[in-house]
Amino acid sequence: MTGTLDGFAAEVGPAEPVTVVGGRTQWSVGGAPAEDVREVRAPAGIVAHEPAELTVRVRAGTTVAELDAALAEHGQMVPLDPPDPERATVGGVLAVGRSGIRRLGRGPVRDCLLEARYVSAEGRVVKAGGPTVKNVSGFDLCRLLVGSLGTLGLLAEVVVRVSPRPAASRWLQAAGADPFALRRRLLGASSILWDGATTWVLLEGHPADVDAESAVVTSVAGGAAAVAEVAGPPPLPAGGRLSARPSALRDLRTGDHAGFVAEVGVGVVHTTAPVPPPPLAGPRELHRRIKAVFDPTGRLNPGRSVVTA
Amino acid sequence: MSGRADEREAVPPETAAGAEPAPAPGRAPLAVAPGPLRVDDAELAACVSCGLCLPHCPTWRVTGAELLSPRGRIAAMRAVQWGGAELDGTFVRAMDTCVQCRGCEPACPSGVPFGRLMEGTREALAFGAGRGRGAYQPWWRRLGYEVLGRHRLLLAGSTALAVAQRLRLVPERVDRSLPRLSLRRPRLRRSNVTGEPVWLFTGCVMDAWQRDVHVATIAVLEAAGARVRLPGDPGCCGALHAHAGLRAGAERLARRVIAALPGDDPVLVSSAGCGAALKDYGHLLGTPEAERFARRVLDVHEWLAARADRLPPPVRPLAGPVAVQDPCHLRHVQRAHPSVRAVLAPYATLVELDDEGLCCGAGGTYSALQPDLAAGIRARKLEAIGRTGAAVVASANPGCALHLAAAGVDARHPMTLVAEAAGLPG
Amino acid sequence: MAQRYREPVTPPGPSTAAADPLVADLRRALAPDRVRTEDLELALYGRDASGIDAGGRAAVVCLPETTEEVAACVRAARAHGRPFVARGAGTGLAGGAVPVGEPVVIVTTRMTRILEVDPDERVAWVQPGVLNLDLTRHLATWDLHFAPDPSSQQACTIGGNVANNSGGPHCLRDGVTSAHVVALEVVLPDGSVTVLGALDPEPGGYDLRGAFVGSEGCLGIATRVAVRLTPNPPAVRTLLADFASVEDAAATVSAVIAAGIVPAALEMMDARITAAVEDYVGAGYPRDAAAVLLVELDGLPAGVEAHAAEVVRLATAHGARAVRVAADDAERALLWKGRKSAFGAVARILPDYYLHDTVVPRTRLVEVLRRVYQIAERHDLVVVNVFHAGDGNLHPLLLFDRRVPGVMDRVHAAGEEIVAASLEAGGVLSGEHGIGLEKKAYMDRLFGPDDLDAQARLREAFDPDGAANPDKVLPAGARCGDLQRAPEGAWI
Repeated sequence: MTGTLDGFAAEVGPAEPVTVVGGRTQWSVGGAPAEDVREVRAPAGIVAHEPAELTVRVRAGTTVAELDAALAEHGQMVPLDPPDPERATVGGVLAVGRSGIRRLGRGPVRDCLLEARYVSAEGRVVKAGGPTVKNVSGFDLCRLLVGSLGTLGLLAEVVVRVSPRPAASRWLQAAGADPFALRRRLLGASSILWDGATTWVLLEGHPADVDAESAVVTSVAGGAAAVAEVAGPPPLPAGGRLSARPSALRDLRTGDHAGFVAEVGVGVVHTTAPVPPPPLAGPRELHRRIKAVFDPTGRLNPGRSVVTA
Repeated sequence: MSGRADEREAVPPETAAGAEPAPAPGRAPLAVAPGPLRVDDAELAACVSCGLCLPHCPTWRVTGAELLSPRGRIAAMRAVQWGGAELDGTFVRAMDTCVQCRGCEPACPSGVPFGRLMEGTREALAFGAGRGRGAYQPWWRRLGYEVLGRHRLLLAGSTALAVAQRLRLVPERVDRSLPRLSLRRPRLRRSNVTGEPVWLFTGCVMDAWQRDVHVATIAVLEAAGARVRLPGDPGCCGALHAHAGLRAGAERLARRVIAALPGDDPVLVSSAGCGAALKDYGHLLGTPEAERFARRVLDVHEWLAARADRLPPPVRPLAGPVAVQDPCHLRHVQRAHPSVRAVLAPYATLVELDDEGLCCGAGGTYSALQPDLAAGIRARKLEAIGRTGAAVVASANPGCALHLAAAGVDARHPMTLVAEAAGLPG
Repeated sequence: MAQRYREPVTPPGPSTAAADPLVADLRRALAPDRVRTEDLELALYGRDASGIDAGGRAAVVCLPETTEEVAACVRAARAHGRPFVARGAGTGLAGGAVPVGEPVVIVTTRMTRILEVDPDERVAWVQPGVLNLDLTRHLATWDLHFAPDPSSQQACTIGGNVANNSGGPHCLRDGVTSAHVVALEVVLPDGSVTVLGALDPEPGGYDLRGAFVGSEGCLGIATRVAVRLTPNPPAVRTLLADFASVEDAAATVSAVIAAGIVPAALEMMDARITAAVEDYVGAGYPRDAAAVLLVELDGLPAGVEAHAAEVVRLATAHGARAVRVAADDAERALLWKGRKSAFGAVARILPDYYLHDTVVPRTRLVEVLRRVYQIAERHDLVVVNVFHAGDGNLHPLLLFDRRVPGVMDRVHAAGEEIVAASLEAGGVLSGEHGIGLEKKAYMDRLFGPDDLDAQARLREAFDPDGAANPDKVLPAGARCGDLQRAPEGAWI
């Protein structure tokens, strides 16, 4: 383990702008960090993992790969699923708040954070939430912190909900299979991807159920010839990321956004061409006030913002 | 125009009709709290205010008002009984708007006997608490209840009403809540077959307005091996009086009913409201005789369901699906509603309403006294019936059937449906 | 078809509330019969299912039917300098809807419309007064349901579920309300209407939806809720395991979880409540068990069967005397009826109960349960335990008769010790009932001054004047010091 919470708080201090650095894998989400700002790093390491609790306490600077390896020893996993887990940190993935392509089966990243200890704009360690899988003690600041891009507080240590790894896991590629029919008919799909022509499906669960659901894929695709087991998902275009109502994906046509891979049932579309950031949900003034009460001087992660211009 | 005399058995002469007799000596003493309401203190204390009753209360469903919920009404009773609150118009309205469907009772984890609390509260209101006797149950209401207990008067009045309907003399507002009454009533005859002896309780309004149900019931019972005996003039069961807080009247009628149905044979009832009242005589009168009587009482479907193998064969099963509407006093009070399904199942495809037996708003005199609320409650029931897609509704209580029929529903008594499907006279 | 029932309107007269200019404003905004001012009615809204009496009462009660009417109520309250409290069916157990002082009480029980169901996208928009079980029943047509299933689900409203972030037995695997609400239309404390969250997966901005869910009415009033719908599972298995000791039952819980099985529900009942339930409903529960586990597995058939077999094996290995697998839906329903009738069963032991709600780490269950029994014994109280063992959510029920002099003092003292024991074991104050008034004073045992200050900041951002459900959740003085105000736009 590297660093302590108090050490991190001291490093952040009570004044002057700071930028928290994880693996720099989603560095430009919400705008480029202001230049010439002092950089700080959250402590790293797994603090406690009790398999029977289905929770893990981990320092925010730990890489997702390190956490995943430790959990894998006990047949468990967390729903943190970044494209580059060797570099991406737990704190970074939570602060950016983007779920991975398995969101359909594993749920959004925002639901897995149980407790957060973060360093506030005043340089103090603050606790939000609690370590148990169920907790309604006070306001739910954890939800607010996920996806806040470190603009309200800097994550130092978190307790995350874990789940068992599936007994079997299989990626299928099905040319021409209607992904929306698959969405309706499959109950064990952790991911359904579609590029306008080809559909990829990740089936997870008991081996016999995975076999049964594979047969459903074959039937929807119109025969075994159209379906192939593949090692993993297709490469995702990295030009842009679109958030759409799941039903709106039906309107996509091959070649839209210069090429896309859509997460069917979820609504995230990975595009080759850049796309504008999503519009603000909720009043701008309320967002401003929230930022103002948590970071009155705007010293946390200057340059980045959850509010698009 | 009651016409030819029915074949009914002699009634012992009624004693001291109209008088307010003293409570029977065996009646259990009520642990009445010092407040003005005639309710049991421990029973009033049993509510823990959890609110699980709310969705089962028809007036809460229609209004969303706490005051018009069982929990709110109990809180109001407590405020009066324990807190010295005034018996004001708001309080009376809270009590008066209760349908007394008792849908809250099965939902209550603490087993609060809400029906008893409400009857005790109304009894106190009717007999002087608050604004005095006349204000709560005015003379015209009391007169109406009195007629129920005088069967010949009721029959004559019903015939007069039927004539008036045909001459369009009945005001529109009243006529809306009434069925089209028949000018002729079929004659009832007791069984001359051998078989298991049973009494059929004929009652008051049902006998006057829906005697065809009695005819069908007798036919079905005989087909199932019963020898049906008919009481001379049992009169009214007293349920409406008890619900209105007119306890003495209810007790008087109960004694007359018990006297009219002597012996040990089962007493079968085809009106759920009356059946619930008869089954409660033990509590009402508190005598060993009344308790013995109450144990003999069965809803007619309960008796038949226990003899399902003897039901007549369905010679012409009903074409479309039949929706089963559970009368509150069959489902929530007698808790005998499954028997209706058991009896009807051979004759029709049954479909269930998805409203968990929520009241239809009939409530005895309720639909006449609270027409707006009753209509609002019925609107929910009509929606539930509509969702089933069934054209015919089976209702084992005449009040419910009339209330639903007034809104255009083809509501029929299960016995009528069975008689029809089994090709029996009815 | 039927005309809408209208409550009689208070005649002009002695009622002080009716003469209030606020009432006149409200009656202009709502149908007059939906603004209630009679003393008796106002008093009834002074309490909820918690039984907590904060000495307050409603200044006036409003029963709006639309978002616009809720907004009008809030604006009228604010214009007259009054706070407001939102209330659903009043089934809350922490006093969250109990008025402190004389606020305007805004009741959502007439907002009962299911506005839109999109079975394809598995989302529905509903008004906040829709009852939880009504929604799930309505969704049966599409083979869908709303996953949170609190024990009061027949009576509690979706709006109340949002306010309390409600759970229930089946949230062990499916998560609590927050995971099933994708968007909310809310009336903010200033009377403006906005939508938090969205139907698309990554809306821009902070997760204000997430912050709002579970805020106990302190951040505004939800007027439309977009709920996520869950497909009904094709296979379900329900098991009842019978143990000779609580320790064995608890060890089985840990073993099941450690084996990589997350059941749909995993409930425990102790000896006394098991016997009481069996006497009450006759569901076939073992009267002589020290503890029983009710385990439900659902999902795809093969996984369900494999997990059911594994649960049977683990329970047997941990000393279960018998494991009964429900053979059909009827038996399954009967087992659940037993579990859900627990409160009815305790009412037959003693008339009153105080239901606590704390969460402890699963691995500390046995230890905390033992302390709960000791605490009850020390205070001469009967305690029974029926709880969500799978997520460590304890529900000790202290049973008593409130007519016994002095008993409430003992009940409260024991309750406080139970809370303390749970916190000492690394637990939290509440798993699903919320803080409300009941546990406000305990908040500083779980959170330090900086932690409480952060929560108070969230509230300040939404409700700078503290007009929405004042005096709830956060203890007085949670907000430390004054904030330096940032110039507008400095951070964008």
